[in-house]
Amino acid sequence: MSYLVRRLEFFVITLWAALTINFLLPRFMPGNPAEAMLVRFHGRANPQAVKTMEIAFGIHTDQNALQQYLQYLGNTLQGNFGTSLTFFPSSVGKVIMLGLPWTVGLVGTATVIAFVLGTLVGMLSAWRRGGFLDAILPPVFIVISAFPYFWIGMLCLLLFSITWPWFPLGFGYQVDSSINLSWAFAGDVIWHAFLPALTIVVTSIGGWILTMRNTMITTLAEDYVKMARAKGLSPIRIMLMYAGRNAILPNLTGFAMSLGFVISGAILVEIVFNYPGLGFMLLQAVNNEDFALMQALFLLITVAVLVAVLAADMLTAWLDPRTREAA
Amino acid sequence: MTKHRYLVFGLLACLIVAACGGSGSSGGVKPATGGVLTIDNESGGLWACGFNPFNASVNGLSFGIVYEPLVYDNLLSDKKTPMLASAYQWSSDSKSLTFTIRSGVQWSDGQPFSAADVVYTFNLIKQNSALDLQSVWSVLSSVTQEGSDKVLMTFAQSAVPYLYQIADQVPIVPQHIWSTIKDPVGENDPSPIGTGPFTVGQCTPQNISYSRNPTYWQKGLPYLQTVNYPAFTDNDPANQFLAAGQAQWGGQFIPNIDTYYVAKDKAHNHYWFPPIDNIDLWLNQTAPPLNNKAVRQALAFSIDRGSVSQKGEYGYEPAGNQTGVLTPTFTSWLDSGQLSKYSYKFDPTKAASLLQGAGYAKNSSGIFADSSGKALSFTVISIAGYTDWDASLEVVKSNFKQVGIDLKVVDQSSNDYFNNLFNGNFQLAYGSLATPPGPSPYYELRNTLHSATTADIGQTAAGDYGRYKNPALDSLLDQFGATTDPAQQHKLMNQVEGIMLEDVPVIPVTEGVAWYEWTTKGFAGWPTPSDQYAAPAPWNLPDWEVVLLHLYKTS
Repeated sequence: MSYLVRRLEFFVITLWAALTINFLLPRFMPGNPAEAMLVRFHGRANPQAVKTMEIAFGIHTDQNALQQYLQYLGNTLQGNFGTSLTFFPSSVGKVIMLGLPWTVGLVGTATVIAFVLGTLVGMLSAWRRGGFLDAILPPVFIVISAFPYFWIGMLCLLLFSITWPWFPLGFGYQVDSSINLSWAFAGDVIWHAFLPALTIVVTSIGGWILTMRNTMITTLAEDYVKMARAKGLSPIRIMLMYAGRNAILPNLTGFAMSLGFVISGAILVEIVFNYPGLGFMLLQAVNNEDFALMQALFLLITVAVLVAVLAADMLTAWLDPRTREAA
Repeated sequence: MTKHRYLVFGLLACLIVAACGGSGSSGGVKPATGGVLTIDNESGGLWACGFNPFNASVNGLSFGIVYEPLVYDNLLSDKKTPMLASAYQWSSDSKSLTFTIRSGVQWSDGQPFSAADVVYTFNLIKQNSALDLQSVWSVLSSVTQEGSDKVLMTFAQSAVPYLYQIADQVPIVPQHIWSTIKDPVGENDPSPIGTGPFTVGQCTPQNISYSRNPTYWQKGLPYLQTVNYPAFTDNDPANQFLAAGQAQWGGQFIPNIDTYYVAKDKAHNHYWFPPIDNIDLWLNQTAPPLNNKAVRQALAFSIDRGSVSQKGEYGYEPAGNQTGVLTPTFTSWLDSGQLSKYSYKFDPTKAASLLQGAGYAKNSSGIFADSSGKALSFTVISIAGYTDWDASLEVVKSNFKQVGIDLKVVDQSSNDYFNNLFNGNFQLAYGSLATPPGPSPYYELRNTLHSATTADIGQTAAGDYGRYKNPALDSLLDQFGATTDPAQQHKLMNQVEGIMLEDVPVIPVTEGVAWYEWTTKGFAGWPTPSDQYAAPAPWNLPDWEVVLLHLYKTS
């Protein structure tokens, strides 16, 4: 139990530190949002109009840092992230909701698929080391994962949307359809998500295969695996419950981290497939010095990573009794 | 991003063979109601479904087709078409302007439109200066209603050309709705009520769908039933969508457009890039050697504008000329006699002799130096990521080198660049004027040269970034603004061009264009080089309304 309490303490302290850094970082960036607005207008705005806009945005340069910090903490805890500069006058919460479901849906699902498939393939190829599976899959996927995201994405687009138009050219759903809860719409979303998801899976699976295969090989040489074999347990049981259960532990933390980073999206995939996600929004927020949107997105990423790591810790505690005892 | 962009475009262009037969001409088809048209324009982000016409980041989604102006003034020809105002009249001293407001117009919620709405709109942007995107209240002194259908505007001084900003660039909003809005600056306006030909139908982060307004005041218009405006975060997917024929009206840069777009369907796919402003080399004249006219003239002789246009801009953006008058857009304003007399073409000999005349001599490394031995070396600022400008400046740099002038190119983030440009913290700067272009050369030249738009070094200048000051020129431009007589205006403009040629306060290098691609497959009524009824890019406001009023489906 004390293990979990220590993890929770750590969680709260890290969260506070993250909140504070999140407050400080944007303020150390050079430039001011009014100038950034000009760029947003493609340089076609009148400087006087921008000046008046700045006042309208309520950029409080008159408050001191402590006041701003306390206000920021209070607002954040209430879930109030302010007004986005880029998408003025929409609130940050509303802006994030434009992209969040799509990003979580696409990148999240693709990450889970890549992890599950990669772990299974890694486990199997280590189990039958030097076998057919081991000779083909790990090398192929490791080579593919060395290709950049956007290159694979563009190749997929070229082959399966343009040369053979089986899949759409982009977007998260049929351009002019409305968002609703129907089977037809769900099918449409899956059809649109297929190529971007495939790109993410294909390029990220190699890493999971490699780490899983390598830890699995080490684990298979352990005494308790030999013991299990000697006891005459079924090979499946040995592979999954003895070798696999132990080999997956290092991968689990990595998986938790990557789940956390799902929020930051896959900028290049979004650009190539014109997918309505958060990654491009984050880039835009940084470019436009949109403090409010930037802070909210960074915070979301931080919290997601922390929560995922906490969950991984708990899962580890359940899978590996040794962590519980090492108090 | 940019590097792979061209590679992939090349790939696509090679692999896709144009296979569309096409159904020939669309002539003879009578316009009928119906059809779904899709606009293809890089928006740089998802739609937040706000339509406030006074918010510069979203007004491109409502100004024109939802909220209309008083008078439509064609950006390319200055031809005026009455819209919400059926007529207008300047007083004899050009200091007051009376609009007659059209009757029989109604808002899309069924309420009648009246002169009171016009007066309300102008006073709304007076009280909330953040809404006054065109700074019309810098020249206006009052806007009042006269009788039932007249609106009287008075000016502190004569401001005839401001008709463009006032009548063409201010969207008129309904008083019965906007007077209930507490904070018009922070207003999202998710379901706008306007007088325009379209209303906002369904809006998702990915697409805005506009529907035909059945009660539009121009009877029978618009022809189109639905206009889709999808959100494209980047150029590449937008170009793919257009080339695949999934959208009809494009408004962005496409590399190798002939193979990438036109060749896909030669019979139907077209493009036209009319110039709308100048890309200039700004010369900061507050310090030597650029305060020396001979040096400025020498620089104007040291740039091969044609080569910059070809190598830097694919030839899509034509070469500029030293008068600052855009050709072919404003050719009728061009004093070609004076232009050929000065004949500013790439001429290293002429440039060298001008520099020698100003006391410069080549040093051992072949660069001109003044009598104290200081070499003629310039630093030019540009915007990082604008790869076309980088390529253009490489050409300028090698041109300069041929003459014997040293040039260093410094790329800055756009924030830094604009800050330095406005505050005068540069020696040379490459780029266009930040204020919007206008329907005659007056607008750009005034903002480029008039000392009223400039400021001291370290202060934000609205225009004239080079800090050029010439009372004679100011007076010419002021006289231009006070007359409604075209003959007089042309005479004055010729004198302004003479000063541009003689003084070289700024060097126009290439001409910025309105990007425009269209397909005649399924739709007709497009603006073309032979029928320039509107500026053709979907982001030309409010011109896109006029284009959408002309378009109709043919199949």
